[in-house]
Amino acid sequence: MNQADVTKLVSKLRIKVPPKHRRLSCPEGPEGRLNKLRKTVTGLIKYERIELNYYRGDEARQYAERLISEAINHGDCHKPTMEMADFWLLEKELVHKLFKVLVPRFENSNSAYTRMLKAPKPAYGRYIDKAVLELRGNPYPSLQNKQTNNRQLLQNILLDAAKYDYRQVKYAEMAEKIEKSEEPSSVKTTNIEHN
Amino acid sequence: MKRNIQCLFKSYNYNQNITTTLSKRFLSSQDAIDRRHHLFMLEKKRQIENVGRIEKIEINYKGIPKDCTLIMNKDISTPYDCAKHLSEWHADTSALALLDGTVYWDMHKPLTESCSLELQNFNVPEPQQVNKAFWRSCSLVLGACVTAAFKDNVPVKLHSFPGPDIRSGSFIYDVDLPSLPDWKPTQQELHTLSAEYVMLSRKGLPIERLDVSEQLAMEMFVDNEHKSSQIPSIARANGKVTLYKVDKHVDISKGPLIGNTAQIGKLAICSIHKITGSSESDVKQLYRFQGVALPTGVVLNHFAFSIIMERAKKLNSARSPINPFVDTRELQQSIAASA
Repeated sequence: MNQADVTKLVSKLRIKVPPKHRRLSCPEGPEGRLNKLRKTVTGLIKYERIELNYYRGDEARQYAERLISEAINHGDCHKPTMEMADFWLLEKELVHKLFKVLVPRFENSNSAYTRMLKAPKPAYGRYIDKAVLELRGNPYPSLQNKQTNNRQLLQNILLDAAKYDYRQVKYAEMAEKIEKSEEPSSVKTTNIEHN
Repeated sequence: MKRNIQCLFKSYNYNQNITTTLSKRFLSSQDAIDRRHHLFMLEKKRQIENVGRIEKIEINYKGIPKDCTLIMNKDISTPYDCAKHLSEWHADTSALALLDGTVYWDMHKPLTESCSLELQNFNVPEPQQVNKAFWRSCSLVLGACVTAAFKDNVPVKLHSFPGPDIRSGSFIYDVDLPSLPDWKPTQQELHTLSAEYVMLSRKGLPIERLDVSEQLAMEMFVDNEHKSSQIPSIARANGKVTLYKVDKHVDISKGPLIGNTAQIGKLAICSIHKITGSSESDVKQLYRFQGVALPTGVVLNHFAFSIIMERAKKLNSARSPINPFVDTRELQQSIAASA
């Protein structure tokens, strides 16, 4: 009964982790798959934004998230974490980047450390889903149009005006209702006074 | 070259001569459109020939991908030409140009002096002017679409469209249909009009601009008594009338307008209302065509768009050109709404 709570042993990721891993067909078998993913994770930590096939990106994302969360939880004096970083980062100067740059950046964040967006597919050629995988807080310009909240955009002006109109109609209805409910009550009070 | 110009002037003068006879007889609407288009092209050619020796100006472009300096031709090159030097994306998405950070300039209006240039699309942080230009262009294209949509036996006389008010929920064109005194459009007819509009906008036509003299403008609109009565008051300021051309349709507008009809995306012609004139006005009734449109690339789900469409079905409270005192109460409301 003295079993440890598993959720406390394994760091909880803020991304969706599928129950089964993807095998990423590779002639060298599972080892080749890991080598592929090591390259991708190294590239992600190095360049902070990479474009690649969706499946490989999604798979590498989980390992990168796990690596960063371990680094945040245990710091650079923890031997297993250091070994893990050594395994996943093929270029060893990136180990310094992980602990000195990324850990301070993500220490207090309460969202996932990476972001994955679907990339446009080429018009002709093989139909393969592409994705852009990036670390949050990277120095590049944003990929998403964040201005959808700009109230001056045409669609927002139209919707706001429609909302205003709708409210005016509702207020008018409410005012009518109140007037109607007030009239009978006032009649009653006058009756009482007569009595 | 010289002979060519002489030849052009000859044909221009010839045209001027025949207008006097043309004005007296009946012009079918298609003939009138062709004639106006022909005059527009002649005048445009003449203005380009008039430039004479080509001088160079320096345009300091500011924006993505990086700031740069372009050497362009004075009175010939337009912001659209500058955009073509940058990339296809710039040329396709730019709706307006901003010169020296203050003057809003049409994409197809020749640049007159050295200045700094910013290209504005519909996603800029402060899109008020771009939106207004878009709304104005939608009205103008609606006019083109209405003249093209009716059969030859229905004369269509465009009257005018009021200044852009996006909060009112619809863009407008007031049209006189003298042979249809009591027309109630069916849903099918509205769909057809919308389809006509979509076909026109999908052609991706540039909206060209030209400043012409009052006299020439009067000749172009000789078949349309509403427009020709408006021209003197428009030209009072500086003797010039600003014309815009979409496909073969030429219309008067103060401008600025967007660069291309392909920038008009999702749209619907929602309703046509009859507005009646006051007792002292010359025009007894007009039809107010109302529609709503969004720029290309704006993604709005169909439910939200249906709300906007439902709202565009109500009669727009903009001032009626033939009976200015009828809608004042509603107008005040809309002012209060926009405040």
